[in-house]
Amino acid sequence: MAKIGKTLLKLDNVTMKFGGVTALNGVNLEVKEGEILALIGPNGAGKTTVFNVITGVYKQTSGVVDFDGISLGDQKRYQVTALGVARTFQNIRLWGDMTALENVITATDVHKKSGLVGALFGFPRARREEEENREKAMEILRFIGIDEYSDRLAKNLPYGVQRRLEIARALGTSPKLVLLDEPAAGFNPAEKVELAATIKRVRDAGYTVLLIEHDMSLIMGISDRVVVLDFGTKIADDIPSVVQNDPRVIEAYLGVPADAS
Amino acid sequence: MKIRNYWNLRDFGANLWENAGRPVRVAIVLGSILLVGLLPFMGGSILATPIAAFDAVLVYPVGMFVLMSLGLNIVVGKSGMLDLGYVAFFAIGAYTMAYLGTTTNLNTWEIMPIGIALAMIAGVLLGIPTLRLRGDYLAIVTLGFGEIVRLILLNSTWSKGPNGIANIPMPPDLGPLKFELKNQRVFFWVVMAMILLTIWMIRRLTVRRPGRAWEAIRQDEDAAELMGIHTLKYKIWSFTLGAAVGGAAGVLFASKNLYIAPEMFTLNVSILILACVVFGGIGNIWGVVIGAAILGYLPDRIRFISDARLLAFGLVLVVVMNFRPDGLLPRKKREKAIVKREANA
Repeated sequence: MAKIGKTLLKLDNVTMKFGGVTALNGVNLEVKEGEILALIGPNGAGKTTVFNVITGVYKQTSGVVDFDGISLGDQKRYQVTALGVARTFQNIRLWGDMTALENVITATDVHKKSGLVGALFGFPRARREEEENREKAMEILRFIGIDEYSDRLAKNLPYGVQRRLEIARALGTSPKLVLLDEPAAGFNPAEKVELAATIKRVRDAGYTVLLIEHDMSLIMGISDRVVVLDFGTKIADDIPSVVQNDPRVIEAYLGVPADAS
Repeated sequence: MKIRNYWNLRDFGANLWENAGRPVRVAIVLGSILLVGLLPFMGGSILATPIAAFDAVLVYPVGMFVLMSLGLNIVVGKSGMLDLGYVAFFAIGAYTMAYLGTTTNLNTWEIMPIGIALAMIAGVLLGIPTLRLRGDYLAIVTLGFGEIVRLILLNSTWSKGPNGIANIPMPPDLGPLKFELKNQRVFFWVVMAMILLTIWMIRRLTVRRPGRAWEAIRQDEDAAELMGIHTLKYKIWSFTLGAAVGGAAGVLFASKNLYIAPEMFTLNVSILILACVVFGGIGNIWGVVIGAAILGYLPDRIRFISDARLLAFGLVLVVVMNFRPDGLLPRKKREKAIVKREANA
């Protein structure tokens, strides 16, 4: 069990508006080092928007996103990744015509120094980095448990392996914080159990995990803390057992009982 | 054991290559270079072109088309950006040669790096503002760029406007190899060397980091950027390398043609080179080489049917693209890691 440490990511009063639509309304969120934080909420609550703001896909309308002392709002997307934030996508976005291994190697390139000229003339550093990348990528595939697929094209992989490869690719960038966007979508119960174990292993290996998920049993089983969003507002933030019984959360998911009004 | 499909030339070639040891590979490479190098002596054979001299056809269009298609393939095939103004870089190289060749004492080999550099600078200058665009929008901007360059050449005094620049010097002799107009085999060998250099460059980059970045950008640019790839930088590199090859081709073209004019650098050339890339197989070096060689050679080979020539040419394009929509030799879609193959090489 990893120890929960200092605050790694902090969203301070973040608001995101698209024209007249307020997707996030003054959201405060803290992710601490070494924890698994689950972000839940009904469809359209703004969960993926939170990810998109953190990774720089959207620039928040107001508020601050602070990652390890650096304001992410000022960073370009690829810089956010280099700082140590990696993500997966709700709808799988692997590079289909690359093999599983190449997908991960491409992600590991982010921290490498050698550029075009080194690649062209095969400078020692470029060669060494190629070798390191390949080894590291293979190690990650093994860690996630999909190394047997390393030579297969990503688009030809079974659905479940593609989802896991997304996690492997995110880990390839050597992140401090991994954002998983519905990693269990479309999984059967057995696969979900396996995935839960994988996510735990990822955390125990020293990564911090922020997770969007709909499957309550998965979340309750693995997360240290649960944050609930509804219509862009945070309505709960506590340990799973407390959140589970919070009347506001039940209301957001199930609606108000007919006799309550 | 799977039955090999010998009609699948791409996989057949790749298998042959992968299963060969180092000496066999060296033999294949040297043998191919020798065979292609001997092509100018085949003028009397079935390959002969009826009206144009065979060795001249081998230099232009065939060799030049192959070279330019390889350059364009870096942009269109490797990183997936549609560039409809590629002729601009060819024109920049050609006019650098023409202008410096007629006004200074520099020879072709001294002007070559200048032409390449100017084409690359043009690539960067065009790339920085426009490569944020994608797909159709990028295509339109590059189309405009190609036309802008041509119109500048048409309307400037230093380029002698529509009259073009004449009396461009030929390259100085390379030892015993003399450049002659009536026998252009030395030109062909130079083009061949440039083609080999370009292929070497592309292959080197493809198996390493830049190639992976381009491939990722081509397949999903947003995902690439979110995985930490500085997409704009790699797109500019791709564009600039393509421009460099186009510029180099332009310098040699001017030095071989001895006369150039703006009308030689129209949109048609861009489209034709793009057709070579698509016809051969976008993204596959060997496909592009074969595609460009065929499309460069065919119109001259069938010149005896005079007016029906372009009709037949168009017909071949339509028929082939119907039967092989991904080109003659499509992009590698085999389940073999590029990186792994490099490890064995």
